[in-house]
Amino acid sequence: MKLKGLFRELAKIVGEDGVLWRDEDLMLYEYDALSSLRQPDVVVFPRTTEHVSQIAKLALRHNLPLVARGAGTGLSGGSVATEGGILLVFSRMKQILEIDLEKQRARVQPGVVNLDLSLAVADEGYYYAPDPSSQKACTIGGNVAENSGGPHTLAYGVTTNHVLALEVVLPDGEVIHTGASHWDRPGYDLTGVFVGSEGTLGIVTEATVRLSRKPEAVKTLLAIYNQVVGATRTVAAITARGITPAALEMMDGFTLRAVEEATHAGYPMDCAAVLLIEVEGLKEAVEEHANEIEAVCEENQAREVRRAKSAEERDLLWKGRKTAFGALGRISPNYYVQDGVIPRTRLPEMLEFIGSIEKKYDLHIGNIFHAGDGNLHPLIMYDERNREQTACVIKAAKEIILKCVEMGGSITGEHGVGFEKSDLMPLIFSEDDLALMSRIKNLFNPLGRLNPGKLLPTGKMCGELRGGLAGGGPV
Amino acid sequence: MTLAVDSVRADLAALVGPSQVLTDAAACAALAVDGKVPDCAVSPTAAEQGAAVLRYASEQHLAVIPRGNGTKLSTGNPPRRYDVALSLSELNRVIHYEPADLTITVEAGMVFGEFQNLVGQNGLWLPLDPRGGDKSSIGGIIAANAAGPLRQGFGGPRDMVLGLKIATTDGKIAKTGGRVVKNVAGYDLGKLLTGSFGTLGVMVEASLKLFPKPPERATFTLRAGTLGIARDLRKSILRSPLDALRLVLLDSRATALVSNSTETPEHPGAELWIEVGGSHRVIERCMLELRQLASAVGAPMARLEEAEKAWAHVSNLAHWLQQKYRDATVLKAALPLAASEEFLSRAKQEAEAERIALACFAQVGVGIVHLCALQETLSASLGTWVTRLRQAAADLGGTLIIEHCPVDLKSHVDVWGAGGDDLGAMRKMKSALDTQGVLSPGRFLGGI
Repeated sequence: MKLKGLFRELAKIVGEDGVLWRDEDLMLYEYDALSSLRQPDVVVFPRTTEHVSQIAKLALRHNLPLVARGAGTGLSGGSVATEGGILLVFSRMKQILEIDLEKQRARVQPGVVNLDLSLAVADEGYYYAPDPSSQKACTIGGNVAENSGGPHTLAYGVTTNHVLALEVVLPDGEVIHTGASHWDRPGYDLTGVFVGSEGTLGIVTEATVRLSRKPEAVKTLLAIYNQVVGATRTVAAITARGITPAALEMMDGFTLRAVEEATHAGYPMDCAAVLLIEVEGLKEAVEEHANEIEAVCEENQAREVRRAKSAEERDLLWKGRKTAFGALGRISPNYYVQDGVIPRTRLPEMLEFIGSIEKKYDLHIGNIFHAGDGNLHPLIMYDERNREQTACVIKAAKEIILKCVEMGGSITGEHGVGFEKSDLMPLIFSEDDLALMSRIKNLFNPLGRLNPGKLLPTGKMCGELRGGLAGGGPV
Repeated sequence: MTLAVDSVRADLAALVGPSQVLTDAAACAALAVDGKVPDCAVSPTAAEQGAAVLRYASEQHLAVIPRGNGTKLSTGNPPRRYDVALSLSELNRVIHYEPADLTITVEAGMVFGEFQNLVGQNGLWLPLDPRGGDKSSIGGIIAANAAGPLRQGFGGPRDMVLGLKIATTDGKIAKTGGRVVKNVAGYDLGKLLTGSFGTLGVMVEASLKLFPKPPERATFTLRAGTLGIARDLRKSILRSPLDALRLVLLDSRATALVSNSTETPEHPGAELWIEVGGSHRVIERCMLELRQLASAVGAPMARLEEAEKAWAHVSNLAHWLQQKYRDATVLKAALPLAASEEFLSRAKQEAEAERIALACFAQVGVGIVHLCALQETLSASLGTWVTRLRQAAADLGGTLIIEHCPVDLKSHVDVWGAGGDDLGAMRKMKSALDTQGVLSPGRFLGGI
């Protein structure tokens, strides 16, 4: 049988313990945090760049799809082998290869867990800035593929602002090195193109990233509101004062109650919304900014502004925020999370709109926003066994994303296009825009075998949110 | 040019209007690049016209060099061909500006000084201090990924571009990215275009991230007797809790040049200039912190008056030198953070051996070193000096390019140096976006 032959060839490259092909094993790889989509034909665990290169050549010979996967925490279906084929899983390439604090650089394999890198340099007072909420599990390789964000990207930028160089295996097995550990290497910024290309141009086997120095002082504020509109107005008002907080997050009351029940972080149970605001830097600057922010919150009808009194209290507040998706998963069999972006000044209007959608379709929507940069994560609760309700979720989600587009925003701020949103791309890009992207894709991935069906429209199901919405992942 | 100039002129006039095409000798001579004079100059007044010009050029195999205000066109190898100068200077409108969102969309030809004045009215800025300064165009700054010392605190153009509209050689206008501050929809072709020096497409519009201006800024100078002391200071500053907006090291000749002094430098060492920003109280704290770091290594410290003017000189040193020294050559080395001082000391030794007068300034917190060879006339040894320094940079894990030099030198030394194992991928990019090879041909890395 064809698969058996493939198994033998792969086992020759990575050893028999590096290949999975039994149905019960493959089942574990048929989903990511978006939903369950399809099993790969075979899962393989490379240990070296050379392995990846040989596997790429083999996939080319057999004309098989090739999909890279880190920890599978993605929210857009990016790491699921939606057309079968070979799934490359990087859990055996998780070495931090080099740390140089004077240069403020680290060189890592793609399977290194995001938080592990920060922990490795924490004692010396450094950290890796991009902090997706799934940072305890997600990998640097996955972050690079998706150009991941996180709460603290408001001040420090997303993954692409922190990656300087990559080793990439192209679909024909060729290995190239883009960028350098220093800035401004002559030539085109291919690193910048590969970051966020969602595994459709090449497979990253090594990344050189920036390490940042930890700030001297951090203050975490919790502003509590009886009305959502006060919270959303505060966001633009803080920016208007010339303050850029390190993080500026919003959670609505519905979400908070679920979070509080799950984490006991000390969030109020009876409010309409909170802002979780963090300022960092020199202690004098932090003190001044915290005072100013507190004043702005009060001007915008905050009921109360609390300050975290200890590192433990701060960690607890953040734990609540970063596990919020999971907390909502406790109260609803399924949820569907979106990732639209709008100009931050339009937040009040958007919140009102989401409220009207909630009523229109009789759904519960929890709102967790990276409010500071206008990145929305409305979580629509549903039960997949209720088909009628599931259909409503799809309609509601589409209306919300259309509103983002109408406001001059984007369909995705940090989760990626993946499988989920590829057919929404024409909402924000013209045919000419997409043609240019296709040209770039065809240069590297002419046969479309590398992560097929992702990022660019497939034209198969125009304009609909596709896929079984069966999420509720442990993010 | 294979076609008669008159027919090209007529064809271009049909695309952009007769008043927007120039063919007279004086106008064209003013647009020369590396001594090559184009046959005509065209200034579209709408983005679509720019795209139409590109399609026409591509069909007719006419070589085009796009330009904003020409402040960075000296960087690059001599063009293989140059028929049409495509000026973006009349594409200079504001398309969308929402101060409260800290975002703006402008046409690429907008002049940087005017741009800063506009957003400055709202207490905002684009924290860049590129060479070319206020005269630069927004498109030119992005095409050259030109970052000055402010990169220390804010990053470079690469980090501020939210979206671009690009006129392509097939006559289309394509968008990448968007207007909002966070966006991962589609390939990030903004990165590809940033720093592509007009070889892939022509930027016609850019959406940018703006920043609130710090309420106050202050610059302190720390005098280090030796490069070794300067290195220790750099290390302790970067390890300290201070967030520098700018941090440069100037050697004695650069210090003299920047302060516009005609006196020969009296102290042989180097100066570190550090700019900090914030409230009055924050600046006081920074000063205290710096004083401690400086006294630990015995470096005298002072606050610099009229700092803004001095910084403008620093970021624009190369341009400024050209006026003083006809054949001034400016090299830019990009190095690992820890290697700037060591490279500087190598460069100085090599310069002494070749009797080349040198002024150096280095963004030591970023790893960018500028070396300015001050000469009235091109000396024969300059080429070997550049080659040796390129090797020295490579030995330290860095690269070196010629940012500005007399065109004669370019026939001896490649401006960019050699490419790596990704040069093939870069060539593919070029051939996909500029199928006929008409955009700034031969000016980029590897003959691209």
